[in-house]
Order: sequence, then C-alpha cells, then structure tokens
Amino acid sequence: MGWPRRIKRIGRIVESATGAPGPAVAAPTAVTGSLQIRHVDAGSCNGCEIEVSGAFGPVYDAERFGARLVASPRHADALLVTGVVTRNMAQPLRNTFDAVAQPKVVIAVGDCARNCGMFTDAYGVVGAVADVIPVDVTVPGCPPRPQDIIDSIRSVTDR
Amino acid sequence: MSTTVDVAPAPHTTPEVIAHPSRVGAAVLSGGLTAALGVAGISLGIAGLFHKVASVHIGWLVPLVGVQLNLDPLGGLFVTVTGAVAVPVGVYLVGYARHEHLPRLSLAVLPLFVAAMLLVPMAGSVTTFLLAWELMALASLALVLTHHRRAEVRTAGGLYAVLTQLGFAAILTGLLVASASSGADTFAGLAAHLDRMSPGTRSVVFVLTVIGFGSKAGLLPLHAWLPRAHPEAPSPVSALMSAAMVNAGIYGIVRFDAQLLGPGPRWWGLALMVVGGASAMYGVLQASVATDLKRLLAYSTTENMGLIVLALGAASLLSSVGARDLAAIALTAALLHVVGHAAFKSLAFLCAGAVLAFTGLRDLDQMGGLARRMPTTTVLFGIAALGACGLPLGAGFVSEWLLVQALIHAPRGGDSTLALAMPLAVGAVALTTGLGVAAMVKAFGLGFLARPRSEGAAKAREATPSMVIGMTLAASVCAVLAVAPVAVGPALRHVLDTLSGIAVPNTPRLGVMLRLPGAGSMSPALLAAALAVAVLAVIALAQWGARHRPEPATVPLWACGADTLTPRMQYTATSFAEPLQRVFDDVLRPDTDVEISHYAESRYLVEKVAYRAQFTDAIEERLYRPVVRGVLAWAGWVRRAHSGSVHLYLAYGALGLLFVLVAAR
Repeated sequence: MGWPRRIKRIGRIVESATGAPGPAVAAPTAVTGSLQIRHVDAGSCNGCEIEVSGAFGPVYDAERFGARLVASPRHADALLVTGVVTRNMAQPLRNTFDAVAQPKVVIAVGDCARNCGMFTDAYGVVGAVADVIPVDVTVPGCPPRPQDIIDSIRSVTDR
Repeated sequence: MSTTVDVAPAPHTTPEVIAHPSRVGAAVLSGGLTAALGVAGISLGIAGLFHKVASVHIGWLVPLVGVQLNLDPLGGLFVTVTGAVAVPVGVYLVGYARHEHLPRLSLAVLPLFVAAMLLVPMAGSVTTFLLAWELMALASLALVLTHHRRAEVRTAGGLYAVLTQLGFAAILTGLLVASASSGADTFAGLAAHLDRMSPGTRSVVFVLTVIGFGSKAGLLPLHAWLPRAHPEAPSPVSALMSAAMVNAGIYGIVRFDAQLLGPGPRWWGLALMVVGGASAMYGVLQASVATDLKRLLAYSTTENMGLIVLALGAASLLSSVGARDLAAIALTAALLHVVGHAAFKSLAFLCAGAVLAFTGLRDLDQMGGLARRMPTTTVLFGIAALGACGLPLGAGFVSEWLLVQALIHAPRGGDSTLALAMPLAVGAVALTTGLGVAAMVKAFGLGFLARPRSEGAAKAREATPSMVIGMTLAASVCAVLAVAPVAVGPALRHVLDTLSGIAVPNTPRLGVMLRLPGAGSMSPALLAAALAVAVLAVIALAQWGARHRPEPATVPLWACGADTLTPRMQYTATSFAEPLQRVFDDVLRPDTDVEISHYAESRYLVEKVAYRAQFTDAIEERLYRPVVRGVLAWAGWVRRAHSGSVHLYLAYGALGLLFVLVAAR
C-alpha cells in the first residue's frame, strides 16, 4: 500500500489546538515562539516520560507550538525536569542547570517533581526539583496529561 | 652488517640526557652530508630538466661494461624530487639523531642511501641501473634494521629483504631479457633496437618489470613490507623511503614500460589501471582503520602510489585510443602527484618522528592534546594531512583534480573497454579520496587535538629547532605546490616532451590558471584567495554581529552532567574507524573480541567490558602464508635429497656427469 493511500485512510489524527493558556512567566529574552527544551529525568518512574513522549508525538504534536526537544543543555532555552531528585541525580541536575545559557526557564513536570509525590521522605530522595534548582513553571498530575505539558510550554512562550 | 655496531638501545629518553660530543659531531656530519647531497641532487636534477647534460662513461669502475651515467629530463625530475626530500631530512636529522641516539652505522649509511637514490634515475645503462638499484635496496635495508635489537624490527627487516630482493630478481630477469633480445646495454641502444624484440618478449619484460617496480613502489600484492618496515624504521629513514625511494618504482615503470618499451598493447594500460586502482583503494582502506600513526602513513603511501600508477595506466590507455591530449593530462597528473606526494609524505613522516621522539607514542589511541604542547608540529602535520586528503589548499589536490579531469573527459563512443574502465576508475579515485579524508581527519583530529589520552602525550614538548626547520622546509614546498603548481609547470613540460610516445606537444598549461586542452580549467591560487577572503569575511561579520553582545562568561566544559570531563570520554582512533570497519568488514577481516566480566555477586552487574580489535593485512594472510607454506614444504622435500651420506653425494656427481656427457654428445 502506497503512503498516499495510507495517509488518506488514516486521515488527520492530531488534536485540534486550544486557545493559548496565557503567560505563566516571562519568556526568556529572544524567545519569540520557538522554545528549545532539554529534558532531564531526575529520578522519575518513567510515567511522566511516556506522557512527555506523547506530548511530542503525532497526536498532541508539541512541535506545532515551536517546542523542540534538544540533545544538550548547551542548545536549550528551558529545562523540562521529571521525577523526584534522587541522590545520584542531584549534582548532575545542578550541572545541567548551570550548563544552560542565561536566561533560562525550568519546567517541573509531574507531582514528584513538584512536591515529591508518593516518594516523600523516601531514603534515596533529596527532595523536589525546587529544592535543588529554581523552578518557574510546575505541571501537576501523576502523570500529567500531555495537554497539560503542552499548555505549560505554551505558557512560557505565550503562543 | 649491523651486528658489529655498538647500538645504544633507543628508548625515548628524557631530554635532559646530554648527547655524547662525538655523537653530536656524527649527527651534524651525517645530516650535513645528506642535506648537501640533496642540494647537489636538486641542482643536478634542474640542470638535467632544462639543459642537455653530457653523459658520463666510467669504464674502469665495473669490468666489461663500465658505468654509464645519463641525465635526461625524466631522470632529472626524479633526481630533483629525491634531492628536495633529502634536504629537509638532512636538517631534521641533526636534531633527531642526537635526541634518539641513532647508531653511527645508520648515520653513515644514510648519506649513502641518498646517493644511491640519486644514482638510480641517472643510470644510463641496464647494468648501472641494476647496480644503483641494489645499492639503494641494501642501504635502505641496513637503515630499516637500525634498532635491530627489537624482534619486530627484525621481522620487518626480514619481510622487507625478501620482498625487495624478489622484486630485484624480477627486474633483473626482465631487464636482462630486454637487453639480450635487443642486444644493447644502454637505454639509448634499447630504444634504438626495440624492433628486434618480439611483442611477446616485450610483454614478458613488461610483466616482470611491473612486478619488480611494483614491489618497490608498494603496489598490491607486494605492498606488505611498507606497513611493517615504515613504523619500525627511524622516522627520517621512513621519510626518505616513503617520499623518495618508492618513487624509484614509479620511475622504473615510466622509464622502461612507458618510454623504452612503450607504447605497448592496450592491456598494459588496463593492467596498470587495475593494479593502481586496487592498491589505492586497499591502501586507503587499511589507512583509515590503522591506529598506528606511521602504519597509517605507510598505507597512505600505497594509496598514493596506486593513484599514480592508475594515472600512468590511464595515460597509456587513452593514448592507445588516440586521445593524446587527455593522455598528456593523465601523465601530468601522475608526475605532479609524484612531486606532491614526496612533499607531503616526507613532512608527515618527519612530524610523526617528532611526535614519537617527544612523546614515545605511535599509537593514535594514546595520543591527543599535542596541539597545546607541540603547536608548530601540529600546524605542520596539518599541512601534510591536508595534502594527503587531496582537498583544495593541499599539495595533492591539483594532481588528483588533473587525474579526474583526464578520466571523466575520456572519449565516448564505440570503445567498450574505455567506456567500462574510465567510470570505474573515477569511482576508485572518488572512494580513495573520500576514505583518505577520513584517515587524515583521524590522524590529525585524534592525534593532535582534544586532550592527552596518556602520560606520554601529556608530557610532550615541542621538537628541537633543527627538526622544526627541517619540517618547515618540507611544508613550504607543500604550500607552493598547493597554491602555485605553476612553479613545476615548465619542468613537467620538458619531461612530457621526452615521453613523446604517449603525450603530445599540446600539453596542459600549468599557469596561474590551469587550462586543459579539451577539458576544464581551474586556478588553485584563485581558489586559495577566495577561501582566504571568505574566512576573513565570516570573521569580520561575526565580530560585527557580536558588537552588542554582553561580555562572554567562562563556564566549565559540558561533561554530560558529570563533574569533570575525562580523556576516556573522547573518541579514540579505534572508535572513529569503527563504522568504516563495519562497512568494509569483508575486505578487512578484522579480528575483534568483546569480553564482558561480571561481578561475583550477580551476573547482571557488569564489572568490565574489554574490546579488542586487531587488523592483520588480509592479503598478507591469504596470499603470503600459502606461498610460505608451499616453499617450506618444498624445502622439506629437497632436504631429503641431502641426507649427509657421502656415497649418495658421489652418486649425484656421477649421475650429473653422465647427464652432461649424454646431453653434450
């Protein structure tokens, strides 16, 4: 089956865009729509990762709104942190935060990143993301819906 | 020969060791003599190129035939190239020999070796040629065996001795057949009485001489001595061998097979193209996976000699279909590449020698970070690597461009051989150049940039002044060849005139603008100027664009989240070449092994992963080993005949006498 026919059979699968959520924080200087994001897993159960990959997949398609996941903090305007901060990841998280050029935005995704969630007071946990690096935007949920993740990104760029 | 000499083991001693005064004197004397011979060679060669030099006959030196010396433009070109290689090597030797404690015998043989190499293209008769050739082979063998206390050196020396003597035997047989059938010893006589040789005899001589000269030039399948002997020989010797001695093989092919015997039947050209193309591709492939810097350079020599022979074959083939304009371009490409290769390869080996002397390293996996510690050597090696890449601004660019021009403009039409050979040859040249870039990026990027991967590399320091001067001399020749090949244009035109069997008067003009009859035109000087302007413009624009930016902040390097960046995080030569190794797995046949050791507590926890890859020369394994086995088996059979019994030997004698009597009846 040729790909044009396959496209015709499947049709449009992307969710239609809702209105912009309005600005949550001031977008970093020179960010006028497109936001380059570095994702850091600080100790997540991978539930949030599945939703993040869903947000950047063909259905929710975060790249429509100018968001892009990049391979190095040196390329990034924003950090997307998931999970509680474990002991082994606390210093790498700080290093990654330091490696992002100023000005930068930190988005903490999921309940664990926000307030340690169900891992509160666990032995290997340093704390929530805000205990280690300054956080600008948080997304609640365990795991959060892809739509919420996209809204948090759009709240940074105001698009 | 070298066992009688007191050899200081050549460790890479600390620079604080002060050389013995007599050794210093020996080094200066040997280096000075080498450089003086080089200057003499350059002036003699230039005289031979542009003027008619009277031939010299010394009757008393060799019984019956005497020594006949003759210098024509073709010989003049090769004498000039050899001289031009010897000058920087001589200057470099002064510092190198003191630092590396080269034994006196090697220091004494080195000028002799240069003299022998200068004599080979000057020989005017078969006898003189063979004498000079053998002198060159023996002198180089003594130099390869300089550090003969090490087992690898002895193995390499043995292999080199066998291959070079086999080659000599082939040349000897070929030239004696030619000489006997035409009844002349001098080259002029050979050319005059060519009609006395039947086409069959000429083809036999062609095959024998190509085998012999191919073994000297490092062509497949007799290339195995190059990657063994070059890494083990002292670096100035490697430079002389790889930049000047291999040219003697090319000289032999041009002199005997193109000029004296030629123009031959069409399959001669095709045979040269096949051998050349195969050597070029195989050499560059091995170079791109080699991790030993000098081994890489040695394989690169095989590659470049292959390209030259491919160009010679293309010239012969094009000439046989009447495209003599294009044949002249291909021939120019071959000769220019001889010159260019001599320049960049001597520089590359001298730089490799400087690295070896001041770090003790040949393994690219252990090197790195030399750009900070040896800045001059790094820049100079960069010039050599650029030349070996065949990219613009490199010494090898113009000749490779000429070769491709000759190949792609080959006449289309009825000739199916040409229609098949030329596109394949273009493909071979393209693959060779592409892989050559990979090999040289590996040699330069992993050897000299980034961080030191071992103690030796971290403790490196800049080479001594005489070594730097020697290398700079070679580099300046590279720069001239890259930007202004017009400098060698007149010389090449004179050489082409002597090769009138193939080329035409309408030779390509190597001016500031290269204009080729019936093909394209290009100007390396304008290209260089445009590139320089573009680089300056980009820098200026970037400065202008950054004028409003805040002061830059200094932050630590990104180490993937870890606190410090360690040298182990870098690419190594092995990992850089790994994709190529996968692609060309069937040709290279690497012997790789991954060993995973687990913790005693759980086999799910990995303690260590060890990766080992070894590259043996596949041709050596599959072609040489059966031959060696066969020879040994045959020797075993022969040994049964001489059991030590006197009676048996007397019987042999009686039988032999009987046979002679019966045969002579």
